[in-house]
Amino acid sequence: MKCHVPGANVKVLGRTVHALARFGDELYLESLPDCILLRTLNAAESAYAMVKFNKNFFSYFNYNYYSTEDNEGLKCKISMKSALNTFKSPTHMDKQVENLEIKLDADACKLIFQLKCRHGIVKTHFVTILDCKAMQAVYTKDTVPNRITSPQRILSDALNNFQSSDDQLTLEATPLSLILRNYIDCSIDLTKIIRTQITLKPAEFDSYVIGTETIITFSLKEFRALLAFAEALNLPLQLHFETTGRPAVFIVHNGITFEAHFVLATTKPDSTSQTTATQNTSVERKKRKDTTSTQGSVKKKPHLDMDVSKCLDEDSHLFNFVEIPDENFIESNNKQNGHVSKDNKNNSKVEAMDCDNIPASPTSKTIKSVFKRCFESTFDPRSIQGVILAENSDSD
Amino acid sequence: MNEGTSQYYFTASMDSGKTLCSLLKAIQFQETAVFCALAEGLKLTVEEGKCVQASAYVPSDNFTEYHVRDDVDVMFKISIAVLAECLNIFGSGEESSLKMYYRGEGSPLLLVLQPQSMHNVMTDCEISTQTADSVLELRDEDAAEVAKLVLKAPAFLGLLADLERSCDVIEINLSPDHPNVSIITYGMQDRSCIDMPKSSDMVQSFSCESPVTLRYQLHHIRLIMKALGISTKVVLRCSSNGLLLLQLKLEKEDQRQMFSEFYIVPLLDD
Repeated sequence: MKCHVPGANVKVLGRTVHALARFGDELYLESLPDCILLRTLNAAESAYAMVKFNKNFFSYFNYNYYSTEDNEGLKCKISMKSALNTFKSPTHMDKQVENLEIKLDADACKLIFQLKCRHGIVKTHFVTILDCKAMQAVYTKDTVPNRITSPQRILSDALNNFQSSDDQLTLEATPLSLILRNYIDCSIDLTKIIRTQITLKPAEFDSYVIGTETIITFSLKEFRALLAFAEALNLPLQLHFETTGRPAVFIVHNGITFEAHFVLATTKPDSTSQTTATQNTSVERKKRKDTTSTQGSVKKKPHLDMDVSKCLDEDSHLFNFVEIPDENFIESNNKQNGHVSKDNKNNSKVEAMDCDNIPASPTSKTIKSVFKRCFESTFDPRSIQGVILAENSDSD
Repeated sequence: MNEGTSQYYFTASMDSGKTLCSLLKAIQFQETAVFCALAEGLKLTVEEGKCVQASAYVPSDNFTEYHVRDDVDVMFKISIAVLAECLNIFGSGEESSLKMYYRGEGSPLLLVLQPQSMHNVMTDCEISTQTADSVLELRDEDAAEVAKLVLKAPAFLGLLADLERSCDVIEINLSPDHPNVSIITYGMQDRSCIDMPKSSDMVQSFSCESPVTLRYQLHHIRLIMKALGISTKVVLRCSSNGLLLLQLKLEKEDQRQMFSEFYIVPLLDD
């Protein structure tokens, strides 16, 4: 494989590599007859990213440059550090680099990046190939009920309000609003955290379709990285998701030259629905991505299916669920601690009324019951009078 | 020379200590420097492990007043960090005029700084000095110069900044044939190579008779980056014994020049 990337696109490629570096430590490159795919998977196998560069992204593209006999695409795995070293400062790259040549020989053990820079300087990076396997995750993005297209600014502006220590984000999607809140782990001391919640109206988005109301929780680190990527390229972000426990897919594409898919695992649903969710996932694993007319889902070559199924059978934990304690456990736990025992009665009352009972961040109910009262017209102290299990230890 | 200053070994004054301060900071990779006042100008030398020697030169025409007693050697050791700190005592936004006095061996270096924007404010600094150790004589008169390169400093800085930090060794190949300059770094598993023909815009002059390969510690080469950042032009000279001499020119608004100079000892072949 040999291809040339023109100066302006080198910046895009550099941004891509930097975004992928926030996901995983290894970069998989695969060259197909009409495109190049870059993929990565994080160490926990909960986040996956795939960026496809079409033939027209390149000024020269020869998939079969070294005229190998087999028509299979060339695949290689390189260290993300090496890739980052090639694209050191993507912000200035378009000004410095005139052309980038990428060469991959089927027999060679090096992937060659040759940057032709200003002043007639040529920088060549000989990157060691670690492996010749391809890796791919299977996910649905076209048949999901919930799809949102967001201008890149809105979500990143919203995320700016969150603490940098927040590591997971809960997204509550209803046809009337999209609520973003930080996920609070039940083990954290509630007095030491800041709860952030932001409500976005459907009018803010370019398109907003919620087929099934749902609440999903996923990792914020990778989400921030993909938002930064969308923002750097000034492109809208598409969110495709189903329910909790199923992967959420984020898509950034410019419609012509490249398309990026970022797939994040969401935390598992509560125990009752877990079995069905698992079944769904296994069904999904067999299901192929729809081959629609959009250029994004170009037909996969048959040999890939083998790779994929093998890969999934062998070692894909991509969408394994993250273990969180279930509701009942928390409830009893709380009772033991005497944490919410004082207004236990009220708590259960609220719980019954509260339709957005979030399995993902159970302890938040205490907070909500407090906040809820603020919005009631009259505060009735009797409503919180329950059986007092623990007296106030001190008058103040 | 009037009566008042003749008792001092060295006196100098300057309208603005700012450029001097940035020049000192550029070679400030060691705690102490050897301060040497010559008739031609001021020279401060810093050494790292007998492998790198960096000097800052301030020719006497940069000073409005400059006197050195010619019957004694004016040479002492001083903390370069403290000296730079004192020159910057009114903050980086303030231009301040500077006077330096050195009475004699064992006495401190006196600095008087006066900010230009304020009247009747001045700072008197006294920096203690130590007896100077001998300075390494790295230049070997017998070793011929095998290559000389004149490069634009900002572009060369850009190249060095892009080199992988984790590399230990930098290899510089110079050759009369294309590509005339090639810089190779060996990382953990990868190899990177920068080729620069002599026709490049950033090469202002190139002379090399026969191909040479020189290896240096990348860490040593990186020490020049601060100085490159404030310079306009850099001259690289390679001796036949592998010693690399880099001379950097710092041009000021008033057309006067200050220099910094780095000697870097090569890595020996295994």
